[in-house]
Amino acid sequence: MVSKEDIMYIADIAKLNISTDELDSAIEKFTQLLKFVDKIKEVDTENVEPTYQVNDDTYILKDYEGNATLTREEVLQNTKEQKYGYFKIMKVVE
Amino acid sequence: MDITSLKAWEMKEKILNKEISSRELLEAHIKKIEEVEPEINAFITLNKEEALKEAERIDEKIKNNEELGLLAGLPIGIKDNIATKNLRTTCASKILENFIPPYNATVIEKIKANDGIVIGKTNLDEFAMGGSTETSYFGPTKNPINKNMVPGGSSGGSAAAVGANEVPLALGTDTGGSVRQPASFCGVVGLKPTYGMISRYGVIPMANTLDQVGVFGRDVKDALLMLNAVTGYDMKDSTSSKKSDLPISIDLNERINYLEGMTVAIPKEYIELGPSNKEVQAQFDNALKVFENSGAKIEIVSLPHLEYALETYYIIMSCEVSSNMSRYDGIRFGHRAEEYNTLDELYKNTRTEGFGEEVKRRIMVGTYALSKGLAEESYKKALKVRTLIKQDFDRVFANHDIILSLASPILPYEFNSVINDPIEMYKADLYTVPVNLAGLCSMSVPMGTVDGLPVGLQIIGDRFKDANVIKAGLGYERAVL
Amino acid sequence: MAYKTIIGLEIHVELATKHKIFCNCPNEYGAEANTLVCPICLGLPGALPVLDKEALEYGIKAGIAFNGSISNIIKMDRKNYFYPDLTKGYQISQAEIPFCDGGYIEIELEEGTKKITLNRIHIEEDTGKQLHSEDGMTLIDFNRAGVPLIEIVTNPDINSAEEAKLFLDKLRAILKYIGVSNVKMEEGSLRCDVNINVVNTKSNVKSNITEIKNLNSFKAVVKAIEFEEKRHIELLEAGSNTDRETRRWDETKGETIIMRKKFGVSDYRFAEDGDIPPIKIAGEWIEEIRKSLPELPHAKKERFIKEYNLSDYDAGVLTQSKELSIFFEDTLKYIDDSKLVSNWIMGDVLRRLNDDEIEIEESNLKPKDLAELLILIRDGKINNNTGKKVLKEMFDTGKSPETIVKEKGLIQISDEGALKEIIEKVLSENEQSIIDYKNGKDRALGFLVGQIMKASRGKANPQLVNKMLLEIINER
Ligand SMILES: [Mg+2]
Ligand SMILES: [Zn+2]
Repeated sequence: MVSKEDIMYIADIAKLNISTDELDSAIEKFTQLLKFVDKIKEVDTENVEPTYQVNDDTYILKDYEGNATLTREEVLQNTKEQKYGYFKIMKVVE
Repeated sequence: MDITSLKAWEMKEKILNKEISSRELLEAHIKKIEEVEPEINAFITLNKEEALKEAERIDEKIKNNEELGLLAGLPIGIKDNIATKNLRTTCASKILENFIPPYNATVIEKIKANDGIVIGKTNLDEFAMGGSTETSYFGPTKNPINKNMVPGGSSGGSAAAVGANEVPLALGTDTGGSVRQPASFCGVVGLKPTYGMISRYGVIPMANTLDQVGVFGRDVKDALLMLNAVTGYDMKDSTSSKKSDLPISIDLNERINYLEGMTVAIPKEYIELGPSNKEVQAQFDNALKVFENSGAKIEIVSLPHLEYALETYYIIMSCEVSSNMSRYDGIRFGHRAEEYNTLDELYKNTRTEGFGEEVKRRIMVGTYALSKGLAEESYKKALKVRTLIKQDFDRVFANHDIILSLASPILPYEFNSVINDPIEMYKADLYTVPVNLAGLCSMSVPMGTVDGLPVGLQIIGDRFKDANVIKAGLGYERAVL
Repeated sequence: MAYKTIIGLEIHVELATKHKIFCNCPNEYGAEANTLVCPICLGLPGALPVLDKEALEYGIKAGIAFNGSISNIIKMDRKNYFYPDLTKGYQISQAEIPFCDGGYIEIELEEGTKKITLNRIHIEEDTGKQLHSEDGMTLIDFNRAGVPLIEIVTNPDINSAEEAKLFLDKLRAILKYIGVSNVKMEEGSLRCDVNINVVNTKSNVKSNITEIKNLNSFKAVVKAIEFEEKRHIELLEAGSNTDRETRRWDETKGETIIMRKKFGVSDYRFAEDGDIPPIKIAGEWIEEIRKSLPELPHAKKERFIKEYNLSDYDAGVLTQSKELSIFFEDTLKYIDDSKLVSNWIMGDVLRRLNDDEIEIEESNLKPKDLAELLILIRDGKINNNTGKKVLKEMFDTGKSPETIVKEKGLIQISDEGALKEIIEKVLSENEQSIIDYKNGKDRALGFLVGQIMKASRGKANPQLVNKMLLEIINER
């Protein structure tokens, strides 16, 4: 059973606000996920390796010269607030 | 004659023969866009001025008899989850409403190097999460075949733009069918190549082990043209494969019958599932006859783990989504909430305001599935089932060139209809999703209409056997035309 | 009552590679804010990481030097959490399989050698830096984001502040030897967190583990451990216990201060980073790296004892720093007298370096110059005391000993004719002392030698003066 507390905990670590009217639909989604988890439990995966990647020929280590470092203007062009070349947020209570 | 209704390769021939300039071609498309866009809404952002400059640059090259790249001045639509330098890239989300990337995705660099022209950024479901383009923050796109219907999704903008003659070619992305299904809905060709064929550098991820860039064109030859322009190994993408460096060269001689001797597999699980619409089934049966009559050998096969594909996909996709969406915190780019007193409020208000409902749902589910108590039986288990699904396909492709199925068992539907029936939506995904789980290549090719609405044939090929899929598509197209 | 202290360390070491770990931004310290940043290390949507070969190589070097076993598969995981200095909402790190498993470092205690075993070493990316201004702003610089780190996690084998200090000294020395890090705590290229608790050896009652962060010098590590040891014991003695919490060291107050309580276990939702497929590491590559490693301090110490006939202590000091050991051996290329060179380095040279708080490589002294100086002394061209003065001048000016000796006219008088003249002159002025000496007052001889040295302005060869003085007096 998915509880309201489960939802609030997950919302907290996912950094989302959940309003009370969204709780029910969230519980429904979580319950559906648990059903999916139950469904795949049927499959015998003894001695089966997980597939993180479909291709196994990739062997890439970065080893080249040159870089694509941005200008400071480009670095800061999409932020809402900046100061002295730094990203800025208002001081927050920890 | 309306030049915008030609195939991309026909336009290219006219440019190379100097029958038309790149600028004239571009202007014809801009005119078309201005005409249909108010209704279709395939684009989020247009790039007219830059595009005109590019067209002039290409015309200059033509004037100087310089050799042109593969895309020779063709206008191209780019799904708006692909980063374009100095051109707004939104993922159809409020959280990136004003995001201007300071860099280009590798595919954009390749388009430029091949003398293609980025004409604008096309609409999608927010962060590519959806199958109808209705979850876009910038409003839905309409299906050019019937404007009461959705264009499919998530690459609905790209499919509709090609279908409505706004562009001859477009790029989309496909995580669980997001190129093939809208192609099917809009009556165009949509190709999702093998995972690792096209660089994902600069492609804003939804679920990064499933995402792959795909191409749209009006016929298979167009799709091949576009694919060859953007494929290739990229050292900036660790998941890019060196096998993708092989150019896909296919002899396009009109007299070749590609279907002769081709081995075709039909999974019995799809036969059993069947579409609820009998006429859709009839279209598929007709297509099979075409293959058979052209000399292909058809066999029924089994994909025993197909019945777990949706659950497996849903778990892996959600987990990857939840992590990929974490960088949207309002600090370095994107929307930031006005009101906050604590760091937690900064994050939570920003993300709650910036993301749409579907995105938030998937983040929640993925966070839950990856959380301490559940990760082992959800995420880890799903990755193992994924192995079995992949092995099912490997067994089939050991003896067969391609697998055929429907691209979508359902027809384009009206706005706000099926989105409330997620079960039907998930069932539809069963045709496309397994391909991404196994990293295979696959293409949707138009195979006629039912009630005036297009139906797509899905041709699936083994990893890095994209040429087989293209040959099958070319062969089918020639046989029915 | 007897208490045993149990300490485990977690050390983050920045690798001194040319580039950052997942992008090709320069890996440099001290640049202007946000000028060493690209779409990848800034975590812009769509940008992808590629693991840097040199970073992995440096990590493997450290793993081998610390006697760990290197994994043949490199898997990168995402550690999901939100923090303003973290660009992607996750840190790319290693959870399931660290690149290096186990290992140990030996420290020398009075009662003998002690092995501090390592749990693991993993590789990960560093985060940006936050500044908090007085007027209520938080400013963030991402130049450090993506700098390669290795995290070395020890087992709880350390039992005192002293052992922790010795361990860190050794760790730092080895990292410097193999050249993978600048290991400067003040620049943050070496950062250490301490996990500590105490156990009553009679009752077996344990205090709860405290984590101490923000330690920016070895001194702070020692002081914080000593402070916590006392705090833990006092609480247990009072029938109470410590809380599971994270504390930081406050240098001005000289005490640790609570940062946060630990509630349960953190939920980092570790998952494989799908952007970086597992990388198979060829055994040959690891072998190649192993062969490229320089001689490590312990092996070098053993060799110094055997090859140069040094004491255990002297060999230990000379090999503590790679640069010092190289300086020693380089000096021996010009003068074949390991005892003499060792004595001078252990004495005047190290004293001077300590006074100036610098390392040998930062000083003006060159091996060839030191050797020349010692040759001048050995050949009797200058005496020991003059040699010390010349060495000081060498440190101050960087001039060669020949130049200094010539400029100041310090060459020792060993010419018997010249010496005889001086001795006769001094004796004629001090007849009484000769009489005293002959009457058995040995002190008088010392006085005379002093007068002779003075008359020669310190340049007379003392051995020769002694010998000749006796001869001349006895002839009278
Ligand atoms: Mg760490
Ligand atoms: Zn960078």
